[in-house]
Amino acid sequence: MSFWTMLTTMADGMLKTILLFALTLIGSIPLGMVVVFLKKSKFKPIAWLTEAYIAVMRGTPLMLQLLVWYFGPYYLFGFSTRGFKFPALLIGFILNYAAYFAEIYRSGIDSMPIGQYEAAEILGYSKFATFMRIILPQVIKRVLPAVTNEVITLVKDTSLASALAYSEVFSLAKQISASQTSFLPFLIAGVFYFIANYVVAWIMKRIEKSMQYYN
Amino acid sequence: MNERNNETLQQEYAVPEGIQDGKNGNEPNRERVILQMSNIRKSFGDLHVLKNIDLSVRHGEVVSIIGPSGSGKSTLLRCATFLEKIDYGEIIYLDRKATITSHSGKVFYTGKAEMKEIKKYFGLVFQQFNLFPHHSVLHNIMDAPVEVLKRDKKEVEKEARVLLEKMGLADKADSYPCQLSGGQQQRVAIARALAMKPEILFFDEPTSALDPELTIEVLKIIRKLAEENMTMVIVTHEMSFAAGVSNRVIFMDGGVIVEEGPPDKVFGDPKQERTKQFLKSYKE
Amino acid sequence: MKKLLALGLSVLTVACLFTGCTGAGQVLDGDGMVNEGGTRVFRQGFDLDYPPYSYIDDNGEKGGFDVELAQALCEYKGWTYEAVPFNWDAKDAELNSGNCDCIWSGFTRNGREDDYAWSISYSDNTQMIMVPDGSEINTLEDLTGKIVGVQTATSAYELLNDEEGQKELCDTFKSLEIYDTYTIAFNDLQSGGIDAIAIDVTSGQYLMSTKAGYHFLDEALGSEQYAIGFRKDDTALRDEVNEALQALVDNGTYDEIGKKYPEIYEFLCLKPSEK
Repeated sequence: MSFWTMLTTMADGMLKTILLFALTLIGSIPLGMVVVFLKKSKFKPIAWLTEAYIAVMRGTPLMLQLLVWYFGPYYLFGFSTRGFKFPALLIGFILNYAAYFAEIYRSGIDSMPIGQYEAAEILGYSKFATFMRIILPQVIKRVLPAVTNEVITLVKDTSLASALAYSEVFSLAKQISASQTSFLPFLIAGVFYFIANYVVAWIMKRIEKSMQYYN
Repeated sequence: MNERNNETLQQEYAVPEGIQDGKNGNEPNRERVILQMSNIRKSFGDLHVLKNIDLSVRHGEVVSIIGPSGSGKSTLLRCATFLEKIDYGEIIYLDRKATITSHSGKVFYTGKAEMKEIKKYFGLVFQQFNLFPHHSVLHNIMDAPVEVLKRDKKEVEKEARVLLEKMGLADKADSYPCQLSGGQQQRVAIARALAMKPEILFFDEPTSALDPELTIEVLKIIRKLAEENMTMVIVTHEMSFAAGVSNRVIFMDGGVIVEEGPPDKVFGDPKQERTKQFLKSYKE
Repeated sequence: MKKLLALGLSVLTVACLFTGCTGAGQVLDGDGMVNEGGTRVFRQGFDLDYPPYSYIDDNGEKGGFDVELAQALCEYKGWTYEAVPFNWDAKDAELNSGNCDCIWSGFTRNGREDDYAWSISYSDNTQMIMVPDGSEINTLEDLTGKIVGVQTATSAYELLNDEEGQKELCDTFKSLEIYDTYTIAFNDLQSGGIDAIAIDVTSGQYLMSTKAGYHFLDEALGSEQYAIGFRKDDTALRDEVNEALQALVDNGTYDEIGKKYPEIYEFLCLKPSEK
């Protein structure tokens, strides 16, 4: 197999990696915010349930969670897994990453000085307006470095999708490497991940910079 | 650092020419009671911070509250601005009752809509300024009038610029709080509070976080507001300033008002032993 | 319980990634690894998820036909046996870096003849298509438009990707799903995610022995032989192992171990030497 053939074969996996990565981000970044609100809910059972959810998501391997999401419906209810692979992957990744994002957001929100809330309250802002206009914009700036780390981890974590036979770039690298007795596919995958993360880091840096107009 | 010569201050605070006459530049109407607090009690756990405090502030009055730390003066301000909930008593702004204490001693705050209206009557300037760091100076001043009061943006901006002019910060409109000195930040915070056109303005140790030279520029502004008959309650450690600017001085200690009266009486001829002790400790 | 076990097994496979390092106190001399006592160490590299040749048995021990045979061989030679379980994808790296002496784990020599120094073949193997009972798939042609599962880097996988093998057939599938392990593929077959599995007959028989309701198509995908793969320059060790293997066949050990694995017994192809 020529280098070019390897590359074109793996290009398909790269697209799949990017697709999984992008959809996971689109789903988990807003969901994480919802999770924070549920965790801070005054209705205690919801707060406890959310806490348990975060503990399980962070306390068990993502690969295991993917297997559970995929095979769980079959073992529990006898649902066929036909065509459920990609949805199961998305559910697994989004719910897992939402838990991590939620913890990042929470730490950001908790780090906000009480004075910001009090100033807003005196000026008559509603709770919602306080959060949207005063707290959230500052929290975003505060959590950006931690979010960047998490996003970079996600790029690499997409390789866990091979557990459900999703042919993303790393699975393909393993397959081609094994059949060609060559290390080259891993090298290609490595370069791909590196470039992908370089792009992610670059974009995040731009966003961070755009927020550096204040301290 | 609190030891400051009164005459110098008087000079420093000399009112400049051509002060903008706004809503607060009206002749004082002493018949009009802006704030009435009665029998206010507040405890944190077993600690009784406020023990049956009465405080009423009339239109155009400048009231300074002095006293050692832990005397309850800041807590009184926080109760007046609803940042803390009182355990007992009554708070009335103009004719609107913010709280009602039942016969059994339980305090009820009035409904959300009414509370929203009452909150428009007052503003608060914090010790730590609490400006919104992600908003420019102008945005800090304009955001609440536009977003909360739903006022016309252009009109608000015009007023905001006038306020900044008055604060001597006309050129800082587009700066961010982090680019300003503490004294400048506090002046922006005062402008932000004034933009809401409050009936009464509270100051919670407005200069305690500032270096002496920056303190002066903030005190000048407060002095200016006093000249315009802005109704103000000021918790402060600046004794000479309090003496110069207030109509009335309240000395608090241990959760009670120990002594209260015109500044020349309280500072010049204190009746209570505790007041004498406190003032003496400041002179040393 | 079996389902849980299957899930657990797949998780264990991941864990195996992190094991497989050599023990301390060993040195490399001209003939290979020798331990402190001076006895030769023989390190068998294998996949822990390839039953019945190599797997974690019901007692949680490393077991399987290949593992038992290797242990018997070491006993015969007076060598110290050492298990080096590895991730199948990394087998070449493990072998070439010297972490193990050989790949001995139901390892197909066909198509890889030039890549390793091969021992004599000790087992035949056939690749089959496994389907659920009652499936409408009865022949290889029926697989057109179906979803077929296979484990990555296995002989069945390579057969389906080999232009000279069954690539043409593979192209008629709706898709070929490539799993890290057959246990997950089998799970997916049970839960209806895929229609069939392409698999070695022996591994397939083992899976079917864990759960009823599955059968092979009559027509095989292909056939091949299992042998032990050594580094290409390590023919000395290969020759020694060949000799020992034949001795184990002659003394009946090979047959004895084979009987413990009825699903592969009929495929064992070594015969006692002619006297």
